[in-house]
Amino acid sequence: MSDLDDFKATYFDECSELLLELEEQFAAIEEGDRSSDRLNAVFRAIHSIKGGGGAFGFQALVAFAHAYETLLDHVRDGRVELSDSVAVLCIRANDIVADFVAAAKDGTALEAGYGDHEKQQFDALTSGDPDMAGEPLEEFDIDFVPVMVNIAGAEDDPSEFAEPLDIAIIDDAFEAPPLLPEMGAWTIRFTPHSELYARANDPLLLFRELATLGETNVRAIIDEVPPLNDFEPFGVYCSWEITLRSETASEAAIAEVFEFVEGNCDLEIVRGAAPVVEEEALDAEIEAMPSFAEFAAEPAIAEEELELAPVLSFAELADSMKPVLKAAPPVMPTPLKQAAAEHHEFEGENDRRSGVEDRRNGVQSIRVDLDKIDRVVNMVGELVITQSMLTQQMDETLRARYQELVRGLEVLAQTTRGLQDSVMSIRAQPVKTVFSRMPRLVRELATKTGKKIRLETIGENTEIDKTIIEQLSDPLTHMIRNSADHGIESPEKRLAAGKTEGGAIRLSAEQAGGNILIAVEDDGGGINRERVLQVARDRGVVGPEQTLSDDQIDQLIFAPGFSTAEAISDISGRGVGMDVVLSNIKKIGGSVHVKSWPGKGTRMTLRLPLTLAVLDVMLVKVAGSPYVIPLSSIVETIQCARAKFSRMPTGGQVLQVRGEYVQVVDLASRFAMTTDVERDNRFVVLCEAEGGVKVALIVDDIIGQQQVVIKSLEENFQSIEGIAGGTILGDGNVALIVDVQGLKSSQTSHHKSAA
Amino acid sequence: MEALAFKDDISGGSAAQTANSLQLIAFSIGEQTYGVEITTVREIRAWNGATPLPNTREFVRGVINLRGTIVPIFDLRARFGEGQTSPTKNHVVVVMSVGEKWVGILVDAVSDILTVAKEDIHHVPEGNSIDTELLNGIVTHDSRMVGLIDLHAVVSGAKMDG
Repeated sequence: MSDLDDFKATYFDECSELLLELEEQFAAIEEGDRSSDRLNAVFRAIHSIKGGGGAFGFQALVAFAHAYETLLDHVRDGRVELSDSVAVLCIRANDIVADFVAAAKDGTALEAGYGDHEKQQFDALTSGDPDMAGEPLEEFDIDFVPVMVNIAGAEDDPSEFAEPLDIAIIDDAFEAPPLLPEMGAWTIRFTPHSELYARANDPLLLFRELATLGETNVRAIIDEVPPLNDFEPFGVYCSWEITLRSETASEAAIAEVFEFVEGNCDLEIVRGAAPVVEEEALDAEIEAMPSFAEFAAEPAIAEEELELAPVLSFAELADSMKPVLKAAPPVMPTPLKQAAAEHHEFEGENDRRSGVEDRRNGVQSIRVDLDKIDRVVNMVGELVITQSMLTQQMDETLRARYQELVRGLEVLAQTTRGLQDSVMSIRAQPVKTVFSRMPRLVRELATKTGKKIRLETIGENTEIDKTIIEQLSDPLTHMIRNSADHGIESPEKRLAAGKTEGGAIRLSAEQAGGNILIAVEDDGGGINRERVLQVARDRGVVGPEQTLSDDQIDQLIFAPGFSTAEAISDISGRGVGMDVVLSNIKKIGGSVHVKSWPGKGTRMTLRLPLTLAVLDVMLVKVAGSPYVIPLSSIVETIQCARAKFSRMPTGGQVLQVRGEYVQVVDLASRFAMTTDVERDNRFVVLCEAEGGVKVALIVDDIIGQQQVVIKSLEENFQSIEGIAGGTILGDGNVALIVDVQGLKSSQTSHHKSAA
Repeated sequence: MEALAFKDDISGGSAAQTANSLQLIAFSIGEQTYGVEITTVREIRAWNGATPLPNTREFVRGVINLRGTIVPIFDLRARFGEGQTSPTKNHVVVVMSVGEKWVGILVDAVSDILTVAKEDIHHVPEGNSIDTELLNGIVTHDSRMVGLIDLHAVVSGAKMDG
């Protein structure tokens, strides 16, 4: 059972990838790209989802995907034009497929008749074609009965293999009923490729399936079977010609039987039975061939010859066999093709397959458990530390004496850095994986709010650590909801304000130093500061006598439980949105900032670390203990002797720097430790916390910059205020990571409680 | 770095005794002997300094690097309210697992491995609240009193109040 669950998990993984690809393709199609590559990619994706769904018995999903696929097939070969309305229907269908997949994954049931409306639309569009319309979808009820196929046995005694199926083999072909061309008869030529067997498919099962459609007559074509000494164990030498008599079977129904092996075989479905004359001629030719027994005897003879005449070369040996090979008639007699009244070759299928293969050859990838990568990341982290420890151990005397060692260490340093970069890039993923979920959201929001909204995405190939990507989906959803609901105005309002009728939301990502900036911008009305402040005062978030700058008011929307919406809508207004954004982003070490231009729009920016595992830090000393401060939050460092401090009435200190007054935190006294370093010899590290608020940390000494691997304190202990975690230095000692944001906020809370 | 891994040694030999007896690692603080169940001990290492943790009680000596993980060190003498130990290289850290977590306890010396019968474990007499809080029981070994340490209690309450 767990095996099946594994397969299911893989299937759902693949589904989510395929659904993403669908979004991508349709984004291009919406832009007006109607190339067949796009359509083929869409078709492939839906087909794969359907195929896997069938194997797991997700009936509803398969039924819908099937109808959708039929439409796509019509679009692909031009029977239905890909008009804008069809494109919209397809996009809607993608969403429905996604819902079906999600329902199948969670094991929940969607409401009965979900997607039926769209299905009817598909049928209406495709009903021009009598072959496909209204064709009942066959049940995907495939029993996987393992069948042991004894190839050697089959060669020796073909009838053993044929018996259960009533396959007419060459010898008794004449016993088969005379095949007359007639309506309701089909000839199917089935030539499996070796991949078909490699994927554990069994033609026998296909023929049985085919037999459910009507009366079948199966003929194996074994002309290609080589002499035994040329026989490759995994070679495929056999093909089949099946005559199916059925009043009801359609070409599509027959193709359906071969659906799971499509691309792994050559399949030709021809209306009408194969002409008898042709058959006889063929048989006569085949009769002329040596029997299996002779084939089998051949190597023995060859061997004898070899023993008798050891000088006999391989070329001669080959020559001796030529007559046998020559006797074999061409596999595909051409008259058959000509005789075909209505004939459909599955060339399209093969094209598609080669397309898939091309893609696979382009970018080869493997699926790896994230845990395994994490282990590698951790070990590389340790390696980096050990390497820097070794380098630190090299003092000047050692350096002078062992130059080879120094050179070796330099190479080691380079290699470790390279290794670290590569490992990090394994975990890095383009933000596209989250961005591509957003178009659907915007479409839904536009429908619900009755607004016209266009989504632009920029920089979706920006790469960021996978763990961060996973945490991004929720915040981005909330931010876009907020923009669509509160930001963008109704079409009437927009027109009145002299804007275009449709609003735009721009989702962008870019790398800035060690950070990734992700911004959600809209061209809506901006934050209504008056109202935000009013609500904040009403709820006691802001005291009555407090005055706030515009920027401070904007940041209020992140306060918990804050909502300005007059009515709680489906979309937002419960006030849980933006503080979720803030807390989620904080959790992964990022920050959020909002900037608003009244009447023109709002921009929310997420600042995220590139990776969670490694941190660039400044190493400092406080009261004899090592501390590290994340480099990304440091603005500048100043010697205390040169810094301008001022005393506040309450006794607190502020630092005057570049015309700003900044709150001062003495780390030694904040951490309740005593230091004997004189004030003037100490240093100020000016840091920027969330929302651009600065805080000046006073430390005893600045030692240098380095990269560290973040270690959790909670793993064996508990969290400590003002400390974000620990790390291990080159000398093996533990240094604590200063939580700049935590220090700043705890300081303000102290003030609050004092007031 | 001279770490002794005890875990493997004890897994086999004492199997017959486990039913109604306990094996203890005994260690000393000053004149007094204490013990912990041997199965909780992960390793024993010499004191090699620790990075102090801010805003913690005096019995939290800080954290050390134990092969890549950060492990907190508790000063058992300070935990008993007898003032901080002034550790030297001869002092010993006993690393133990408490639930899912690994912690180190700073003691003066590790003295012995004791095998005691379960029925010989006495209750801690009511009286001093620290004793009853931190000890699980008392056993007598070679006419000495050995206090059984309650690790969960030792580890709790490490943060500064307020």
